[in-house]
Amino acid sequence: MNAPFFKYGLFGDDVSLVIAFIIGIGFGFFLERAGFGSSKKLAAQFYFTDLTVFKVMFTGIITAMVGVYYLSAIGFVDLSLVYLTPTFLLPQVVGGLILGVGFVVGGYCPGTSCVAASTGRIDGMVYLLGVIFGIFVFGEAFPLVSNFYVSTPMGQITLPQISGLPYGLLVFLVVLMALGGFAGAEWVEKKMAAKKAGA
Amino acid sequence: MSSLIKGTTLSNTEVRTEAKAAREPQPYWNPYLAGLGLGLVLLAAFVIMGRGLGASGAFSSLVAVGVDAVAPAHANANDFYAEYIGDGTKSPLKDWLVFEVLGVFVGGFISGLFANRVTKVVERGPNISSAGRLTFAFIGGGLMGIGAKLARGCTSGQALTGGALFNVGSWAFMMMVFGGAYAAAYFVRRQWQ
Amino acid sequence: MKKLFTNLSLNKKLALFVFVLGFLALFAGSPYKGTELKVDASEMAMIVQKEVDHVASDELAGWIIQGKADYRLLDLRNETNFGEYHIPTAENMQLTALKEAQLGRNEKIVLYSDGGIHSAQAWFLLKAEGYKGVYILRGGLEEWKDNILFPRLADNASPVEVAAFEKTRLLSKFFGGTAQVGGAAETATPKMALPKLESPTGAQPKAAAGKKKKEGC
Repeated sequence: MNAPFFKYGLFGDDVSLVIAFIIGIGFGFFLERAGFGSSKKLAAQFYFTDLTVFKVMFTGIITAMVGVYYLSAIGFVDLSLVYLTPTFLLPQVVGGLILGVGFVVGGYCPGTSCVAASTGRIDGMVYLLGVIFGIFVFGEAFPLVSNFYVSTPMGQITLPQISGLPYGLLVFLVVLMALGGFAGAEWVEKKMAAKKAGA
Repeated sequence: MSSLIKGTTLSNTEVRTEAKAAREPQPYWNPYLAGLGLGLVLLAAFVIMGRGLGASGAFSSLVAVGVDAVAPAHANANDFYAEYIGDGTKSPLKDWLVFEVLGVFVGGFISGLFANRVTKVVERGPNISSAGRLTFAFIGGGLMGIGAKLARGCTSGQALTGGALFNVGSWAFMMMVFGGAYAAAYFVRRQWQ
Repeated sequence: MKKLFTNLSLNKKLALFVFVLGFLALFAGSPYKGTELKVDASEMAMIVQKEVDHVASDELAGWIIQGKADYRLLDLRNETNFGEYHIPTAENMQLTALKEAQLGRNEKIVLYSDGGIHSAQAWFLLKAEGYKGVYILRGGLEEWKDNILFPRLADNASPVEVAAFEKTRLLSKFFGGTAQVGGAAETATPKMALPKLESPTGAQPKAAAGKKKKEGC
């Protein structure tokens, strides 16, 4: 095993910052390729007219999921060294709800708003200001919410661990679910387009 | 190109039309290919750094630095800001996520440039004014900031990264994001349709 | 069959490809191969024989005095003993907590316990897990006490040894110990009081605090 390279000390903090920048470029590049610099396209997901968000997100998830699984299974990557954010169930559920509302109201998520801002979308730039403001509000209110913030901790836990099912089985199931979702998404988009044309 | 086929010289209007066509925004990529690219970038982060992507964390660092600059005592007394400010051994802006997000700006711009999609515009539906849209954008961003901090991440860090790693909290988060967005969509439909 | 495949659209080709990968995942086994240990027996035997895995107590004392921060010193004893006395800059860590400690694979890690058994066992565990920079404090805390805290100058010491002992005496004083002069080695050493830990070296290496890398989003 010699990956993740950084955790094996192959390079230091400064080089990691350069790598961060390069990876960020790749990230932003593909986000924009998908059309996520446009809030109209992003929001269309939630009106069922354009399900690109679902397609891109889940293709990305299963690509990385299958990739990291196989690289770990052959012993190249030490999966236990890949950082897993600890789970705090209740704040994450509530945070997710709020974030979802913010997504359709604002039309972006933080990553896509960066892409929008750098391609000239003024609403993207204003959105980013909103994000900064929101974080500031949260920071100021933190003493009041800190108890809630750390409630229901579950530690670093994965679906295979919590379900007892083998990791490989879950990979297969998620791939199946995603493929089914894609087929469904294509169907829905066609229907909505036909409906729009017929209307 | 068309002049080569026609074998004649172009009129002025034809030249202008052709040039305009070249500057038209290109169609978006096949979403599955874009997703594949995204997934490979994420995989690279796993293999090289042993961590995933993110976005909101960079802005948290920014806010913490800002508050620290204006009111350092207050910032360091606050657990949330203090975590981002660190112990003073290095600048909080020398953070992996900050550099990654800078890259996101650049990568988005490069892609937009090649696809002729860099334009100054306020994206909105036909039934709302720019001012209205911008107001919503700010509010949405604010909500997003709060939600992302509660959930310890946004769609890039939690949904994409945590999703690929089967993180329980991330999957729960992802479902709630879609749920919350669909639920609220009806109420802001005027913005988009 | 081949014609059927090439007739599929790109999307369907991608879907088929990923479906096959997902299906094969059912048989590829656990991705957590890290719980199994792989030991290169001859390499290990060589390392042990050459004693390159050891750090002598005076070497460690030198690092501490110089304020070096490029190592992690782990005390494998229980909390109570750690609280009574521990070598400055040491962190308390039980063997079972070693894996979760997020130690760097190429980091310099020095292990000690009372004698040498626990540190040797921990050394083996870490080496087998692929940690490259693991060392044992030779003689453990016992030798630290004998050599650094309470060094003894024999009655019949030569002038050279007496001169050298002065340096050792200073070392001992730095760590809060007491040098002993004379007295036959056979007589049981009176139980010397262990130095109170007022951190003679000043601050714990700041590296411990800075190491908390944020990897969330």
